[in-house]
Amino acid sequence: MNPGQLDIIREDCDRIFANPDRFSVLKNESILITGGTGFMGSWLAEAVACLNDSHHFGIKLTLVARNIDRFREKQAHLASRKDFTLLEKNVCDLIDIPDDISWIIHAAATPDNRVHSSDPLQVINTITNGTMQVLGASTRLSNLKKIVNISSGWIYGSQPKEMLQLQECHVGGPDSVSIASAYAEAKRMGETICSVYKGQFRIPMVTLRPFAFIGPYQMIDKPWAINNFIYDAINGGPIKILGDENTIRSYMYPSDMVNWILTALCEGESGLVLNLGSPEGCSLRAVADIICDCIPGETVVISQTLNRKPKYSIFVPDVSKAKETLGLELSVSLQDAIKRTIDWLRQP
Amino acid sequence: MKKITISDPTLRDGSHAIKHQLTVKQVSDYCAAIDKAGVPIVEVGHGNGIGASSIQVGLSRESDVKLLEAARKHLTNAKLGVHCIPGFATIKKHIKPALDIGVDIVRCACHCTEADTTRNHITFVREQGKQAFGVLMMSHMAPADVLVEEAMKMESYGAEAVIIMDSAGALLPDKVETVIGRLCDTLNVQVGYHGHNNLGMGVGNSIVAAKAGATIIDGTARCFGAGAGNTQLEILVPVLEKLGYETGIDLYRLLDAADLAEKELVQSIPRVRSISVVSGLAGVFSGFTSHVERISKQYGVDPRDVFFRLGKRGIVAGQEDMIIEEAYKLHQEKTG
Repeated sequence: MNPGQLDIIREDCDRIFANPDRFSVLKNESILITGGTGFMGSWLAEAVACLNDSHHFGIKLTLVARNIDRFREKQAHLASRKDFTLLEKNVCDLIDIPDDISWIIHAAATPDNRVHSSDPLQVINTITNGTMQVLGASTRLSNLKKIVNISSGWIYGSQPKEMLQLQECHVGGPDSVSIASAYAEAKRMGETICSVYKGQFRIPMVTLRPFAFIGPYQMIDKPWAINNFIYDAINGGPIKILGDENTIRSYMYPSDMVNWILTALCEGESGLVLNLGSPEGCSLRAVADIICDCIPGETVVISQTLNRKPKYSIFVPDVSKAKETLGLELSVSLQDAIKRTIDWLRQP
Repeated sequence: MKKITISDPTLRDGSHAIKHQLTVKQVSDYCAAIDKAGVPIVEVGHGNGIGASSIQVGLSRESDVKLLEAARKHLTNAKLGVHCIPGFATIKKHIKPALDIGVDIVRCACHCTEADTTRNHITFVREQGKQAFGVLMMSHMAPADVLVEEAMKMESYGAEAVIIMDSAGALLPDKVETVIGRLCDTLNVQVGYHGHNNLGMGVGNSIVAAKAGATIIDGTARCFGAGAGNTQLEILVPVLEKLGYETGIDLYRLLDAADLAEKELVQSIPRVRSISVVSGLAGVFSGFTSHVERISKQYGVDPRDVFFRLGKRGIVAGQEDMIIEEAYKLHQEKTG
């Protein structure tokens, strides 16, 4: 990562922690993050680095991941920190957690749907057995204060068309016999496993259900609409919309994501379940148009020819509960998120 | 008006019909002609795709690189496509050089139940900013539910279209309608159809596919292709236009290109011979025909029996050596 990109991320973190007091329970504490080198883990690591560097929090962070070498190579500025410990381990093999750990963010699982399709059994194994392994090990910790389980908005299944936003109380569910449901069903099971550990072992547990994100650290070659649009645009376009351009998605900028996760970790009452995402739904066509506006020149947006009935879908969270319980709100608009992402990608 | 994108594999599937002996001049001449006609996608290369030239499935006269360079030079408006079967084609040795030459679309193909094998290839092509289609070959061998699942995998890998390929010319209209309809209901990306003519259903099935929602249809000049040949392009296009679909293709120039193909490329115009009907009924890849005939003659057995035996075993392209096995067994049974 180049210095310009680091500056953008640090600016974002500084903005989150303009008033860091609400996170003061983490001072001099030890946090463990599974899936520590992915998109979410990397952002959380950046946030902790900022708390330590700018606000002297003295947090000790342990990142658990399967492939540490790549992290060392790409995020050397994080990997080389003395306050960070890197633990190369498949979460399914995590027998013991260091005894000084008081806080856990369990985020191990890839959201890449290419992996979900080609290796669904491995996806199910990582999520379900990995969650049991982490929770089992956490029962042996002497000073555990809270676990945040990163679940998924996909556990709701398809969002009904008449429902503009999905509330946490929505009882939906993925199509259990579809191969495309492996990730979502495993995440649902993961939530149940967490509830069981919370009930049986009294482990303090908060569940977050992430939706979609766009921002630094996201690989724009991932097969998601907004990533592809940005990829097309910065490579000279045209932006190709695959599928129905009226499909509605919402995107949260990662600094908001980190703020919400850490707030839930510090202040969320055990048993709390919250959506994690932007409530600002936007059609794919509108997203593509925003990206065009951010790129100088004449980027064209083209939609595929589809001689069939419109088949749009919606995937947007209701986040009023996050506001009511923890006072959380979105601070970065979609336009700003896209602009900042493109700036980050274009840093020389 | 509904739009259909025509993809022309004359210079790829047609290669089967002449044992992969296409020359640079043939590719150049046909590309120039078909480009003028306004055909939007032209596929070029060995019949089994880039990297497939081998003793097993036939050696090409010219290298992939030479044929693709010639095509690129003579295609101004049309996109240049390649067929790519993972295993024959590798990312480093074949796809990357093809993209460097200027290939626009890589059609990553696999047996209809093995979409997993296309993941790395599709992903790589998309990462290079090029178009990747998924192609499910021998699609008569799997039920609609399985084809939908496999197509969903390809979509998740980044395929911008999924093509149902009736490699054996064995599909009948009802199944085409069901499969294409199910795919259109399920996928977010385009759905395409590639027909063969063993049972005389090339154009008919393609029309059924278009009506069911397919937006990419393949066809070759004078049916130029393996066995009984492919959906005949110069019939397909005017029929689609007559039915109200817009192809953007100039009819006269298309007919001129087909005439040129007949004169310059096609040694004998593919037709539905008796053996083609048998291969279609047996559900065996049309490209096996010449091998089956040759080997059957060698062992003194009826090639129709060989085809039905191969059909029962469910063999697919790349298993050409099984022809000898079955012909030998038949010979043994016959001679005691």
